Amino acid sequence: MRKLLLYAAFILTCWFAADSARGAELRLPENATAGQPMTVGTSGQGDAVLYLVGPGQVIKHNIKLGGNVQIKGEELHSAGRWIAIVRSGSNPQSQAFWVKPAQPESLSFLAKPSRVPVAQHNAISGTVFLFDKFRNLVIQPEPVSFNLAVNGAGATQSITSHEGVAWIDASSGPKEGAAQFVASVGSTTVRRVVQQVASEPCSGSLRMHVAQHEKDMIVVQTDPIRDCSGNPVPDGTIVSFIETDKSGKSTVDARIKKGFAQAELPASSEATISVASGVTLGNELHLGAGQ
Amino acid sequence: MKLLRILVLMLPPAFVVCGVVFIVIHGRADVKPSVQLSTNNVRPRAVEDTTQAAIMRDYSSAWQALNVALVNNSTAPLNENFTGFALEKLTQRVKDQRGAGLKTRILDHGHHVDAIFYSRDGSAIELHDTASLETQVLDGSTVLHSDNAQIQYLAVMTGAADRWQVRVLESVPAAQH
Repeated sequence: MRKLLLYAAFILTCWFAADSARGAELRLPENATAGQPMTVGTSGQGDAVLYLVGPGQVIKHNIKLGGNVQIKGEELHSAGRWIAIVRSGSNPQSQAFWVKPAQPESLSFLAKPSRVPVAQHNAISGTVFLFDKFRNLVIQPEPVSFNLAVNGAGATQSITSHEGVAWIDASSGPKEGAAQFVASVGSTTVRRVVQQVASEPCSGSLRMHVAQHEKDMIVVQTDPIRDCSGNPVPDGTIVSFIETDKSGKSTVDARIKKGFAQAELPASSEATISVASGVTLGNELHLGAGQ
Repeated sequence: MKLLRILVLMLPPAFVVCGVVFIVIHGRADVKPSVQLSTNNVRPRAVEDTTQAAIMRDYSSAWQALNVALVNNSTAPLNENFTGFALEKLTQRVKDQRGAGLKTRILDHGHHVDAIFYSRDGSAIELHDTASLETQVLDGSTVLHSDNAQIQYLAVMTGAADRWQVRVLESVPAAQH
């Protein structure tokens, strides 16, 4: 009989210990989302402190055990791995849980370069990082739309984000001007301007003629200089005029001004004059005696 | 008398053991964690060797700074290694911890990092990190929570004047990958 009572007392003690240990058990949601309200269920009795330790914040609440604790949506900002701790007496209980990012509401859009020659293959890169309104990186795949256009004419490409990032390489268009490079996710749109400028002069358009011929000086002038898409090459671009005669070589570097470039070269009885800009060679003039 | 002699003889080794235990418990946050970087899956361009070395160095420094900041409740270590959203969030975390009377000790057992995106202009890199971390949340010296887990992180680093800084650091469930 005494043994039986001992066994019973032992079982009751174990039961009490197990119940006490379970006193502050936590029930956490499996799909918590940043900015959404969340319920933390507790068991047990008495007063306790609930700590929610998140990647970018810590929430502390004094609670009554045995009920549900409501966490307001505006309290829960950080996505990632959280730790919930209930502390009552000397036996804290804890559990990890995850909070997902909310829907994307802001884009970090890097567009490079800010200035690019026309008709260049994959010369423009666009990179978008997606964030929700709490600045969490949105890791679930989202369609990102990229549009590159000058005066409304251009192309749109849709890319699905991966691990919070979407990127494209785009070719510059044939016409110079301020290209609008727009990235959109849902109703969120971010715009960048990429200045498309004329490319290198086209060899067919780099032509010069003698504009003036005096006793000791020749003035040579180019026709309007354009790139191979027909865009005028910007003023300030360097054009080199090279005169070669029996006494040697004379070079003049001139800048394009109002679409033309011109240079004064020493007069020579017999000379060859060539013109070049960047890697483009233009025509040659052969000047003989009497010309 | 004999007992006293034994006690005196035991004192130096006891001090050494205590010192080692102290360093293990309190000194780990000051150690730069190991970082192994793989660039096999990076797109759209390859990562230069010098950039790889810089990323490993600076990502390791960032974790060291984070661990020191969280265990000491000090925001100062974060400023050199973090920027943008990551700096804002971690600064808030430290302030909140301090307000709640908590601190976090992370014993960092290393990071296996996979570079997954490197921007065309070389200004930003995204990393997928599998970190082996032992995390303790403490109130004073009382451990409220302790776990030992492999945690996945996504990190975005951007180039600054003399180093790479962590701009985004977000833990993600393993099922996301």
